[in-house]
Amino acid sequence: MKTPVWKKWEFVLSLILILEIIIFASKNSKFLMPRVLFGSMNDIISICIISLFVTFVMVTGGIDIQAGSIVGLSSIILGVAWQDGGMNIWAASLIAIAAAGLCGGLSGYFIAYCGVQPMVITLGGSFLYSGIALLVSNLSATESYKGISGFPDSFLRLSKVKLFGIIPSQVMIFLILAMLAYVLLHKTRYGRQVFLAGVNPRAAEYSGIYTKLVIMSTYILSGISAAIAGIILTSYLGTAKGDIGATLTLPIITAVVLGGTLSTGGKGSVPGTALAAVVIGTLRFGLPLCFKVSQQYLDIPAGLLLLVVVTGRAVLDSPVLKGRFLKSNMK
Amino acid sequence: MKKIGKSRELNSFLFLAGLIFLVGLVNRSFWQPTAIWNCFNDSVVFTLLSAGIAFVILTGEVDVSIGAVLGLSAAVGAALLRDGYGVVTASAVALVIGILAGLVNGVGVALFHIPSLIFTLGVNGVVRGMIYVYTKGAWVENLPAEFTRMSNRMLIGNITVFYGLAVFVIVIGHFILTKTKKGKYFIAVGNHAAGAILVGIPADRTKVTAYVLCGMFASAAGMIYASRIGFITPTAGNGYEMKAIAACVLGGLSLNGGVGSLVGASIGAVIMSSISRVLVFLGFSSDYDNTITGIMLLTIVVINTVIQNRATENNRRRILNARTVGKGEEEK
Repeated sequence: MKTPVWKKWEFVLSLILILEIIIFASKNSKFLMPRVLFGSMNDIISICIISLFVTFVMVTGGIDIQAGSIVGLSSIILGVAWQDGGMNIWAASLIAIAAAGLCGGLSGYFIAYCGVQPMVITLGGSFLYSGIALLVSNLSATESYKGISGFPDSFLRLSKVKLFGIIPSQVMIFLILAMLAYVLLHKTRYGRQVFLAGVNPRAAEYSGIYTKLVIMSTYILSGISAAIAGIILTSYLGTAKGDIGATLTLPIITAVVLGGTLSTGGKGSVPGTALAAVVIGTLRFGLPLCFKVSQQYLDIPAGLLLLVVVTGRAVLDSPVLKGRFLKSNMK
Repeated sequence: MKKIGKSRELNSFLFLAGLIFLVGLVNRSFWQPTAIWNCFNDSVVFTLLSAGIAFVILTGEVDVSIGAVLGLSAAVGAALLRDGYGVVTASAVALVIGILAGLVNGVGVALFHIPSLIFTLGVNGVVRGMIYVYTKGAWVENLPAEFTRMSNRMLIGNITVFYGLAVFVIVIGHFILTKTKKGKYFIAVGNHAAGAILVGIPADRTKVTAYVLCGMFASAAGMIYASRIGFITPTAGNGYEMKAIAACVLGGLSLNGGVGSLVGASIGAVIMSSISRVLVFLGFSSDYDNTITGIMLLTIVVINTVIQNRATENNRRRILNARTVGKGEEEK
C-alpha cells in the first residue's frame, strides 16, 4: 500500500519538473543550454546537499532548523583555521567538518537523550552556532563583515572544475552525496532503523535498536552535510563568512517537505527530496531568466508551491477532507 | 496542573529579577530605574509578538509567519501614514492584514490538518514576497514626526504609552484565557486535542481564533515597530518569529501546547530583548548576543525537561509501588 503512494509522489515531482523545463524552455531557449542550466545549480547546491540529510532527521520525527547556522560556522572555522591558524586548507576543512559534526551531535544528544523537543533545541542551536560563528570571526585579523578571502587555487578549484567540460564539480558532489544518502537510508540496516525510530520509537527500542543513538546520529549527519555545503559555498564564493547560511533554513525545510517527507516522521525518501530541491531550484532560476521576475519576489512562487502541494496532498490523503471537497468523486 | 503553570511563570520572573540583580552587582548604573524600565519599554515589539504567538503555542501549534506579517503590516501601515492617512486608518489596515494572514494560517492548519510549521512556512514566504512587491524593494521612509514621536511618549513615570498598552492587552488576554470558558478552550485544545473534541470543545475554531489573534498581535507589533524605528526595510521582522518562539520557551510555555500563559510569554520577551542591553552593561560586546541567547535557551529547556521527565518517572514508580504493595497485602 505504501510503496505505490511514494512512487506516485516522486512521479508527480518529476512531472512538475518536466513541466517547468518545458515552460521555461519554450519561453527562452537559452534555458536549455547546459552551461546555463548547470550554472544555475551553483546557487542552490547547498540547499540540495543539506536537505538530503535533513530528510534523515525528519524521518525520525525530528526537525533541524540549525543547519543554516552550521553552514556559516563551518565556513568561518575553515577560514580562520586557514588564515590565522596557518593550517593546510584541507586540514582546515576537516576541522570544520568535525566541528559541525560536534555541533550536530550536541543538539542530537539533547534531543535524543534528554527528550527535549527537536524544534526548541535546534532553535537554540541556531542562535548558539551563529553566535559562535560571529565570535570565531572576531578571532580573525580580518574584520568579520569583509570575510576571509584569498584562498589557494587548489581549494577554489573545488567548485570550478567541470567534468567533461560541462558538469560542474558541485553537481557531481551533490549526485555522489545523493547516491550515498539513498543507499544509507533505503538500502542499509541503519536506514531501516532510522525509519523505525520515526514510526514507533518504543517498538524500535524493544526490538533492540539503540533508538537514541540512531536519532542523535541523524543530527550529526545533517551537521556534517551542512559543513560540506559550507565548504563548497566558501570555495564557490571565494570568501569565508560567518553568516552565509542564514537564509537557508526555510528553503531546506521546504525542499524536504515538498519531497514527500512527513514532518511527523516515519515516511520520506531521498530521491523525493533531491527531486524537490531541484524543482525549487529550477523555479528560482527559471522565473527570473524566462519571465523577468525579480529575484526578490521569488519567495512568493516558492511559498505558493509549498502551500498548494501540502494542501493538495492533505485533501487527497484524508478521506474526510476528500469527502468534503470532492463530493462528486465520492458518489 | 495550575500549580505547575504558576511556578513556571514565577521561575521566569525570578530569572529576570536575578538577571537584573546580578548585572547590577557588576555595574551599579544598571540599578537605576530608567535602565531597568528601558529593558521593559524596549521589549514592546517582542512582548506583543510573543503574547500573540503564545495563543498559537498554547493550542499546540506554531506560527513562523509572524515576522513577515509584522514586516508587511509595518510597511503598508507606514506607507499609508506617509501618504497622509490618519493613524487610525493605517492601524486598521495593518490589523486587517494580520487578521487575513491569521485566517489563512488557521484554515490551513485547523481545517486541512497540515503540520503548522510547514504551512506557516509557506505563508511566510508568500507574505515576505508581498512586502517586496508592495514596496518594490525600497525602504518606506519619511514617516510623519507625530507618529514616530508617539513611541517616546510616557504614560506614567518611566513607562511608555506603547508598553502600557501592551501590558493592558496582555492582562486582559490573560484574564480571558484563565477565567472565561471560551478562553480555557485554548489550553484544553493544546493539552489534549482529541479529549477536548470529545468533551465538545470546537477545537478547529479555537485554533483558527488563535491564529487570527496571533496575526493581529503581529500587526500591532508591526505598527509599533514602524513608530519606534521610523523606517521600514523589506527585511523588517526577518527572524523575529524565531526570537518570539524562543521568548515563549523562556517564559515557560511548552511547544507541545497546553502549558504556559501570556504573562509568561511577555516575561520571556523581556528577558530575550534585554540580553544585548545587559551585555553592554557587563562590558561585553553585543557580538555575544546570539551565543548567550542560545546557551540560555538550551540550558533552561534541557534542565526543565530533565526535571519534568524525572518527576513523571518518579510518579509512575510511586503508583506502581503502591499497586504492588497493595496486592502483596491482599495475598497475605
